[in-house]
Order: sequence, then C-alpha cells, then structure tokens
Amino acid sequence: MWNWDYAIKIFPEIFAALKITVTATFVGFALAMLLGLVLAISRRSSVKTVAYGSKGLIEFIRNTPLLVQLYFIFYVLPEVGIYLSPLSAGIIGLGIHYSTYLSEVYRSGIEAVPQGQWEAAKALNFSPWQVWSKIIIPQGLPPVIPVLGNYLITMFKETPLLSAITLVEILQTAKIIGSHSFRYLEAFTIVGILFLILSYPSSVMVRRLEMRMNKSLR
Amino acid sequence: MSTPLKLVKNLSDEENNYQDISKKKQKQPMVCYDKISKSYGDLQVLKKIDFDIAPGEKVALIGPSGSGKTTLARLLMTLEEPTSGTIKVDGELLWHQKIKGKKVKANEKHLQKIRGKIGMVFQHFNLFPHMTILDNVAAAPIHVAGIPRAEAEEQAISILEKVGLSDKFNAYPSQLSGGQKQRVAIARALVMRPQIMLFDEPTSALDPELVGEVLGVIKDIAQEGEMAMLLITHEMDFAKDVADRVAFFDEGRIVEEGKPEELFYNPRSTRLQDLLSRFRGR
Repeated sequence: MWNWDYAIKIFPEIFAALKITVTATFVGFALAMLLGLVLAISRRSSVKTVAYGSKGLIEFIRNTPLLVQLYFIFYVLPEVGIYLSPLSAGIIGLGIHYSTYLSEVYRSGIEAVPQGQWEAAKALNFSPWQVWSKIIIPQGLPPVIPVLGNYLITMFKETPLLSAITLVEILQTAKIIGSHSFRYLEAFTIVGILFLILSYPSSVMVRRLEMRMNKSLR
Repeated sequence: MSTPLKLVKNLSDEENNYQDISKKKQKQPMVCYDKISKSYGDLQVLKKIDFDIAPGEKVALIGPSGSGKTTLARLLMTLEEPTSGTIKVDGELLWHQKIKGKKVKANEKHLQKIRGKIGMVFQHFNLFPHMTILDNVAAAPIHVAGIPRAEAEEQAISILEKVGLSDKFNAYPSQLSGGQKQRVAIARALVMRPQIMLFDEPTSALDPELVGEVLGVIKDIAQEGEMAMLLITHEMDFAKDVADRVAFFDEGRIVEEGKPEELFYNPRSTRLQDLLSRFRGR
C-alpha cells in the first residue's frame, strides 16, 4: 500500500503549499483579533444602536456556517463588482468568522475587570479611548491569551475549508497530486501529519502558558 | 436650607440668620446641588437635596449606610447621573450644557472639562494593578494633562513623598498594605490638583490599625487649606477634627447640618442622637 519513494517524491510540493495555509491562518487571525476587539468594544457602547447592531452582527455570523460565508465572499461579491483572489477571500472569511468568537473571548476578559477600575479611570478624567487603551485592555487581555491561542490552533485546522473556494493550500495540493496519480494515501497522510506536527506542540505551549498565567494570577 | 458654613461662622443664632444670608449675593459656591434626586427603580436614594460646598470648605457627610451619602459624591464625580435636579461646579452646570440657549444633556467634552476640577478617593482604592505605584500616580498627568513623562514622574515622586511612600515607587499595588494603597490613591487624585476632593469612606475597607495613617494624611492635606473636601466617613472624631461643617444624612435627606461641635454635642434629631450614641458606645 504505502510507497516510501512516492511519499518522499511528493513531500516537497505539499510542504511548499503549507506556506499558503500558514499565511491564511496568521493574517486571518490578525484580522480576527482586530475585528473581534472592535466588536467587543462596540458591544459595550453607550449608543444603543451601536451596541445592539454589533450584538446582532455577532449572532448572525456565529450562527451561520463558515463555508456559506466563504462562498458568499468568493462567489456572490463579484456579482456586485467586488473581485477577490481565493487567498484574500479566505483570509477575510476566516477573519470575520473568527472575530465573532474572539469578541466573546475579549468580552469575558473585559467583564473580569472590576467596575472600580472604570470608575477610577473616569475620576482621573481619562477619555473613553484612554480608559480602554490604558486601563481596561491591559488588564482584560492577558488572562484570555491562552484562549486566543486555542482559537488560533482551531482556525489553523479549519483552513482546508478554503480549498472549497479554489485556494490551493495544503489539502487542495494533496488532492491535485492524488488525482494525477490516483494515489491518495501518501498525499493525505502527509497533510494529516503536517497538521499534527504544527498543532500539537502549539497546543502544549498554550497549555503551559495557561498554567503559568494561573499561577501568576494567584 | 443650606449655606456654606464660612459665611455664618460668627453668627450666634444660626436658625434665623441662615435665611437672611442666603438671600444676599454671596461668593459663588464651589459645588451647588439644586433639588437633586436619584432613584434606582422604585428606590429613591436622594430626595430633592439642596446642598452647597464653598471653595476650600471641608464638609463631612455622616449617616447610616445606604442613606445616600456616597451617591451624592458619585453624582458629582459623574459616575452616576441624577434622576432630576442640577449640579453646578464652580458656577457651571455639570450634567447639562447650554447650546444656543437650550439646556441639553452635557457631552463628553463638557463632562471632561468639569471633571478636571474634581478628584475622588474610593473606599476600595481602585489602584491600577498593572502599573507600578509611580505609574499609578503619573498616569493621569501624562495621559490626561499631557505633561512630559519626566516632569510627570517628578510631580508623582514629590506627592508620594508627601504621603510617606518614598520607598515604594517601583512596587505594584498588590505588594502594598491597605493603608499604603489608600495613600497612593490619595496621591493619585492629588497630583491632578483638583479644586474639590471627594473621599468616599476612605478608611472603611482598612484594618483598624491602618486607619490612622490614612486619616493622618487626609488631615495634613486639609490643613493646607486651598482645596475643598467632601468627606464621607464613619469616623466621627476625624470628622470633628477636619470638617468646617458636618451634614447628617438619613434616608436620602439632609436631616441636620452645622458646625461639628453643634452637631456632635447638641444633636437635634433623634436619628442623629441614636447614631452618635451608637458610636460613643464603641
């Protein structure tokens, strides 16, 4: 069944496609972190329409499948004149979808900051922006960093979904190789192993970080 | 009827003269509460309070827990909004502003302008745990007043020395005792040079042996004179020492007010008599 010579021969090509997967993961996650923070903050806005608007948006995106959103961005947006490359569409799709999860993560961090911190900052006449940037985020963010790390890993493992919008990432590459030679075992096995090699140490690192933070918070 | 104490200092018969004097044109009060009410749902915690604080005046608010004292201070610090009535600070409306002759709700810019005249010390200190002591005190001068860091730190250092914490600059709040934390909190408010400082039960969260050091610092500041103070406290001896005037709160109203001697030695209302006897009994 398993052919070592063939596996070694196709490995470089699959490995090269990992670059696309990693790019989509990190750029997508950076976008998700940024958008998520914007959503988390606007959810607490004193302007009711902003607060409810972002809450509605979060629920809408969270409760529809990522694949549908990706199709929408890649196949429907061109109908209104917005053309995106598979990679850009994938990054935007992942970024928006995960921003809603991350906004909930930020929210738990923000809500853990005691009310007295808001009041002290206000009493010292910090502007609303400064209250967020100097007082609330520096206290609310560190405790949720491990949770963010877990979402990064989850998102990494979901990037093969981008093959559905024709992005030639690692899984799509393996599929193409397989369809040329009608040998799928080696190609898909290599993909699985590459994901494992990257995800497992990362999740161990996140767990260590979590333990260290729990200790320092005590 | 309320009148800044300074104006009636030399009068023997306050009851009658209070009225006369308040009708005359007087020096503008630092803070002026006008028919201030505050409700949380059905619970009315402040009932049409009229209350003035003169520039530089030290006023103590006493009264049972839940009587509305703290709410009065929180409304002034803009931490909560009054249900009705107006507050003036230094002659300017706090929660409202006039735009084209119309009284409208104050915007953030207006609130910030007035807030700059007010400082507050909280019962639970509310220091910023992610900053060193020095940064806690220097943060507002840097970020709010826009003073260069080096200069702001110099000011912070001199104020921290004043409250007796010259050896703690690089410590974090979690490494300090309650009394030290509260002294940092006082320094943090003081460094912005407010015209009025609000002390919301500054020693209530402290272990008994740490109360003295904090009250000592507040007394020192009070003796410097310039700044008006609103002291919400259960420490009767302290109120007597520091305050020019004491107001007794009960159930959302000011039941009695006057010079500390009068209030403490000759309380008129039975509620205040009860309260005082309970404290003497301790």
